Amino acid sequence: MKINRFKIWAVAASFAITAPIFAQGAPNAEEGKKLFDANNCGSCHALDKKLVGPALRGVHDRHSNEWLIQWVRNNKKFRESGDADAIKLYNDYGGAAMNIYENLTPAQVLDIVEYIKTAPAPAAPKTDTAVTSSDAPVTDPTTKYVLLILLAVFSIVLIVLARVRNTLKRIAAEANPDEYPELANKGSFMQRNLPAFMSKMNPTVLGLIVTTLIAIPLGIYGFNFANTEVGVQKGYAPTQPIAFSHKLHAGELEIDCKYCHSTVEVSKSASIPALNTCMNCHKGVQATEKYNGEISPEIKKIYAALDYNPEELPGKQFGDNPAPVRWVRIHNLPDHAYFNHSQHVVVGKLQCQSCHGPVQKMEVIQQWSTLQMGWCIDCHRNSGIDVANNGYYAALHDKAQKDLKQNQNNSKYFGPDGKVKITPAMNGGLECAKCHY
Amino acid sequence: MMNKLNIIGASLAVLFASSGCVSRGNDTGYEYAPDMYYSKGYEPYNQADSFAVNPYGMSMRVPVAGSIALGKSAFIYPMANTGEGYEAAATQVVAPPEGIDLVETRGKYMYNIYCTACHGLEGNNDGKVFQKVASLKPAWKGYSDDYIKNLEEGKIYHTLTYGKNNMGSHASVLEPMDRWRVVKYVKLLSSKGAVSTADTTLAVANTMSN
Repeated sequence: MKINRFKIWAVAASFAITAPIFAQGAPNAEEGKKLFDANNCGSCHALDKKLVGPALRGVHDRHSNEWLIQWVRNNKKFRESGDADAIKLYNDYGGAAMNIYENLTPAQVLDIVEYIKTAPAPAAPKTDTAVTSSDAPVTDPTTKYVLLILLAVFSIVLIVLARVRNTLKRIAAEANPDEYPELANKGSFMQRNLPAFMSKMNPTVLGLIVTTLIAIPLGIYGFNFANTEVGVQKGYAPTQPIAFSHKLHAGELEIDCKYCHSTVEVSKSASIPALNTCMNCHKGVQATEKYNGEISPEIKKIYAALDYNPEELPGKQFGDNPAPVRWVRIHNLPDHAYFNHSQHVVVGKLQCQSCHGPVQKMEVIQQWSTLQMGWCIDCHRNSGIDVANNGYYAALHDKAQKDLKQNQNNSKYFGPDGKVKITPAMNGGLECAKCHY
Repeated sequence: MMNKLNIIGASLAVLFASSGCVSRGNDTGYEYAPDMYYSKGYEPYNQADSFAVNPYGMSMRVPVAGSIALGKSAFIYPMANTGEGYEAAATQVVAPPEGIDLVETRGKYMYNIYCTACHGLEGNNDGKVFQKVASLKPAWKGYSDDYIKNLEEGKIYHTLTYGKNNMGSHASVLEPMDRWRVVKYVKLLSSKGAVSTADTTLAVANTMSN
């Protein structure tokens, strides 16, 4: 009751404040703009675009002032009174009822209409749109290989030519030693081409030493290559069909990971969101302010995939001819390894970032971890799990408590720092068949 | 003479440098035995062969029309996605008679995931998305608004199921019982005006809905 009375006073007060304006009888567009914003009209209406409700420009030509006042203040009552226009409007917009604004006085409604009447038309889209070309230098991998092959061929030609020149010189020197004193009688091939300490060595020993010296770095290189490169796709950041930014959505807007990857707690897979999840926001968010009043080209791709026409009536939202977005898969475990998201997120209580890295800072999503077996094992050996208050670990919890009681000083449940530490490995987290079956 | 050894050394060094492990963009790198990496059986989101009724070769298919998920037959939502359906939901859609449990734990947890981005932790319409795109905001100011205080639970449930105005359907991410928990939690926020923002931990996630 108290609140209601307060409201009445508030309405009365607003009358009192705005009364002088009504006295003059002229609707005030500035006041109307304030009311338009204060009542969030813009969440359903734009001036020049259909949103949830119709575009408002020219509304004063379509309906009389009396009609508009009745509609805005209580469209439900108005419809029930049997006004044909009102019922038709309601049906045209798929039965999306407008809110009731009895807090607005008739004069205030007219203020809003005045604002709509006088609002400046939108600037025509600029014609000289600078072509933001995607003429990034094309890096064709074949070019690289062709260049490498050419380099190799030319090097061989160069070496052969040099040797031919040397041989010719030597022949000339044998025939005419006086003319080439530096080449005459200089010994064997090894003596001529290697430093003195090498040419004095037994050729077999020298060969072994040289081979070892070359083989060791090559071996290290090969080992590292096989270990960190082959089948390891850490850093893989493919161009996705829609340039979705995790930095914007998860970082700046702080949308929970699970909002989109909603099956992560109940399924093996964390799920790529269906496009209706995108549309929960992007029905209304079109980033037009960044693209000269046009809908963002990336958001247009969502609409295209759903065959959705933002101009169409809300009753029929998605078209009949959808075409799924072909996202490029990044994380791929080999077929012979099993991984389950729900086990790690729900039972293990891991944060997404533990494995996927600082996703909220990634403009382009990339694979953060190696996903190698050693990486799995490290974590299973070293990370402590909270077994108390976790139904999944009840048996392990009991076992550990019993063991701690019996072997107070050397229980296997003590970590290196003397504190109790229970790892996944103690619960069979290293069994082969847990992941490979 | 020593020059030749230098050349060999230099080319080895170049070989090392060019194989550095950095962000590799579109390049997946080398793969060993790719037939062990890509499952013959369908994994989630794998590509299948496309054919007449599956032109995009999706391994995930739409269930036959009228399919009901196991254990969900009690939750077939009877209302149509229309203005009439919304009005009718006010009286005809009511929470299960046995009551809704875990409102302040599971309900809050789900609310914090699916609602806070727009409506804010305490339902004041001050989530980051609403802050950035103010035009999305509804006409009411927050859950403490009389509009929400007086709004029937059935209508909130209807809105979660089908969406309303700028809000989309959250039926695919909130199971029916979770939807009710969120409805009750919204009402709780609405009646409290403001509640503590103490974090509900992930422990709640253990309690899976029905």
